[in-house]
Formats: sequence, structure tokens, C-alpha cells
Amino acid sequence: MATIVVLVILVILALMVIAVYNRIIGLENRYQNAWSQIDVQLKRRTDLIPNLVETVKGYAAHEKAVFEEVAHSRQAMMNAKGVNEAAGAANMMTAALGRLFAIAENYPELKANENFKMLQEELSSVENKIAYARQFYNDAVLQYNNGIEQMPGMFLAGPMNKKPAVFLEIPEAEKEVPKVSFAS
Amino acid sequence: MSVPPSAVLPDVITDGATGRRISLLDWQATNRRLSWLLGLVMAVLLGAIAYLLAQVTNPASATFFVAVAGTLGVGQTAAAYWFSDQLALGAAGARPATKDEHRYLVNVTEAVAIGAGVPTPRIYVIDSPAPNAFATGRDPKHASIAVTKGLIDTLDRQELEGVVAHEMSHVKNYDIRFMSMLAATIGVIVILRDLVLRWYQFGALGGGFGGSRRSRGGRSGGDGGNRGQGIMVILLVVLLVLGPILGTLLRLAVSRRREFLADATGAYITRNPEGLASALGKLAAYQGEGLAVSEGVRHLFIVNPLAKHNGVDLFATHPPIQERIDRLHRM
Repeated sequence: MATIVVLVILVILALMVIAVYNRIIGLENRYQNAWSQIDVQLKRRTDLIPNLVETVKGYAAHEKAVFEEVAHSRQAMMNAKGVNEAAGAANMMTAALGRLFAIAENYPELKANENFKMLQEELSSVENKIAYARQFYNDAVLQYNNGIEQMPGMFLAGPMNKKPAVFLEIPEAEKEVPKVSFAS
Repeated sequence: MSVPPSAVLPDVITDGATGRRISLLDWQATNRRLSWLLGLVMAVLLGAIAYLLAQVTNPASATFFVAVAGTLGVGQTAAAYWFSDQLALGAAGARPATKDEHRYLVNVTEAVAIGAGVPTPRIYVIDSPAPNAFATGRDPKHASIAVTKGLIDTLDRQELEGVVAHEMSHVKNYDIRFMSMLAATIGVIVILRDLVLRWYQFGALGGGFGGSRRSRGGRSGGDGGNRGQGIMVILLVVLLVLGPILGTLLRLAVSRRREFLADATGAYITRNPEGLASALGKLAAYQGEGLAVSEGVRHLFIVNPLAKHNGVDLFATHPPIQERIDRLHRM
């Protein structure tokens, strides 16, 4: 009788451990997948840049400083390895593009260019998607961190060698979402 | 203890007005359970109606009637599950949005989908100047969002995000599946009612009401049968008349609560309650041409396509907009 009780308790314990283990792995996969969402948008933005620079050069060829800054950030983006480097390069690129679009304000013909308008909408939309993806990522990281730091996950986090993940900082300049409307 | 699909949203959303806490996961589970329960209720209801119909016309064919109704019920449930989104989109006159023509809308929807953690739904546009939107489908993988041309033109980016996030919440919370099933149930009862009324008009059911009782008495067998028939007819009428009304009231009651919850979830997805609040304000202020859509899909929209009335209305599919805005401001 006692053996059966002990066996039942052991089986229940084993099932609980499996459930907690699966939950931690599930949360970990989620936040890692969430990063790939950001990565897709960062790549898309990097791809849009040559076209944008070509278009702007057609109207404002002498604004060399900003073109260099954009090219530099693009290079940094393409060389970035890991989440932190990519996030840093992404912030740099956001700042460079912000300056480029600020300069474009001085060229009415450029602003009227259809291709430029399309690129501007695409890029502000990519910014927007990056912001949402970053928010989703941070949500997922919060869930994961809670999962391994709270009961019952905290008992398995050590043996599973799981460490809390790092949140992505939202740069000050970006908290103000640019109000761009292309309603026609 | 698997990871629930919406775990990135908070599990519990606090209703700004009542302070009541609603678990989103419970809400989703309830929606899925209720959807199937509705299918069951519809099958039973159809069976009962068919049985009564057979009693009134020809009791010997009861089995046949019930079988037909059962098939109809199962067929309708399946159709609602698979095709109700196409029906709703068709009824609203929606056409697919293209990246070339509606770049702004497509981009906003993709962004909000990333924030909500659901696949990007199929996007449709309705050519109407009245600003409005709705969502339909059976689950987040098979969902569609339709917005009017007026909505795209009227709202700025943050407001449009708010509205799209509201619709995305209906998708995520499985409101869309529940609404499709409910609409189908009510639809079948309404069809049956109209059929019976038409038969009655043409005298096919006259026997039950006494008009040509004598001529049909032989078939149902004597006075006792006729009295039984009278009760049956009354039951049938009650079922067919009250059924749709009860269904509609149920739909309205649950749909109002759903709107509040979708507002709250939408505000959480965008982290910007003001965007949706300001959009709702613009939608309420719109005074132009209305949006002509059939009664069957009206409750799907974010604001009632026809509404110009205020105050608490038992038949309102939506809560008063001002109350929704106030709750958003309090978040």
C-alpha cells in the first residue's frame, strides 16, 4: 500500500516537472521567435535604403554628410551580430533616417516625388512595425523572466541553466511616434 | 501547462468602468465553448421545429422532417464555420485591399498584427464614405478585417491603428467565431419562420388553424388530433416568432460586452487608448451618408452603421460611443 502511494506521488511529481519544463521552453522559444520578427523588419529597412538614397540624391546631391551617416549606419546594421549589436545599429539607423527626412523637408520637389512618398510611407511603416515588434519582444521577455523567476519555474531554472533575458531599451527620441498621415 | 497563444497579452484586463477583472484566456475559452453550444442548440431547435411542423401537416412524415432539419442544422453549422466570413464580406460589399492601392492600410494592419502577436489577417476595403470597420472569420489563422474607404480617409495613423487593434482583438478573443455561429443560428430560424409563414399564407397549414379543418380532419384522425394540432400550431408559432427575437436579444447583450472588451484589448495592443478614443469620437461625429448593409452583418461593425440614436436601447448592438470613449480615457 505504502509503495503504491509513494509511486503515485512520484508520478505526479514527474508530471509536474515535465509541465514546468515545457512551459519554460515554450516561453523561451516565444521570446526568441519574437526577436526574429524585429530582425525581419530591420532587414526590410536596410533593403529600402539604397533606393531611398538614390531618390534623394536626385534632388539634394550635395547633402553628403547625411548620405554618409545613412551609409555608415547601414554598414553597421549589416555587420551587427547578436541582439544587442543589432539593436544598437538599428537605433543609429533610425537617427540617420530621421535626419535624412528632416533635410528632405527643404526640397519641395523631392517631397512631391511619388517614389519618395512611397519610400517615406514604407520606412515610417517599418519604424512602426519595429516599435510593435519590440513591444511584443519585451512582453515575451517579461513572460519568460517571470516564468523562470517565479514559482514553480524558479526550481527548474537553475538545473535548466536558464538566465533572465534582457529587455530592449526604447531610445528616448523614438518614444514620440511621428505623426505621418498619407490619407488621400 | 502549455503556453497559451495569447500569453503576451496580460491574462487579466480590468474593465475601466466597473473595475471588474476579466481573464482574456477564460474569455477565449468561453467563446469557443459557446460557439459549439450554439451549434447544438440550433440542431435541437431545428429538430423541435421540424417535429412540430410534421405534427401540423403530416405526423407520419415526422422522421423525414426531423432528418431534413438535422441535415440542415449540421450543414448550416459547417457552412457558418467555413464560409460565414465570405458571406459577411460579400454582404458588406468588401473587396480585397492591395498593397499598391491601400499601402497605408496594409502597413498599419501588419504593424498591429505584429504587436498583437497574430498572423496578419486578410484585409478588405468597402467603398463607402461612412467610416466603419469589422472583423470576421473562424480563428486568428483564418481571419479577415474590412474597413471602409471613409475610415482610411478620416483617421490619422494612430486612430487607424486603434480601430484595427480593436478588430484584431475580436479576432484574438474568438469573438469572430462566436458571432458567425450566432448569426447562422438566427439565420436558420428566420428562414424557417419565413417558410412557415409563406406556407400558412398559401393555406398549406390552414388545417391547423381551423379554416379548412373539416376537409383535412380525416388525415390526422378525429377531434382529439385536431386539438393536439391546435396546440402544436401555437407552439410552432411561438417558437418561430420568439426564437429570432430571443436570439437577437442574446446577440445584442453579448455583443455590447464584447465591444467594451475589444476596446480594452485594442488599447493594450497599441498601448495608446487615446488613438482609439479619438477615432471613436470621429466615427460618432460623422454625419454623412450611411453605410447600407443588411441586418445580418450590422452587429459586426465597430460602430452601428445606422445608429443616430442615443440612450440605452435594448436593441442596440453597440454601447453608446461616449461611454466607450470615457472608459478608454480612464485606462
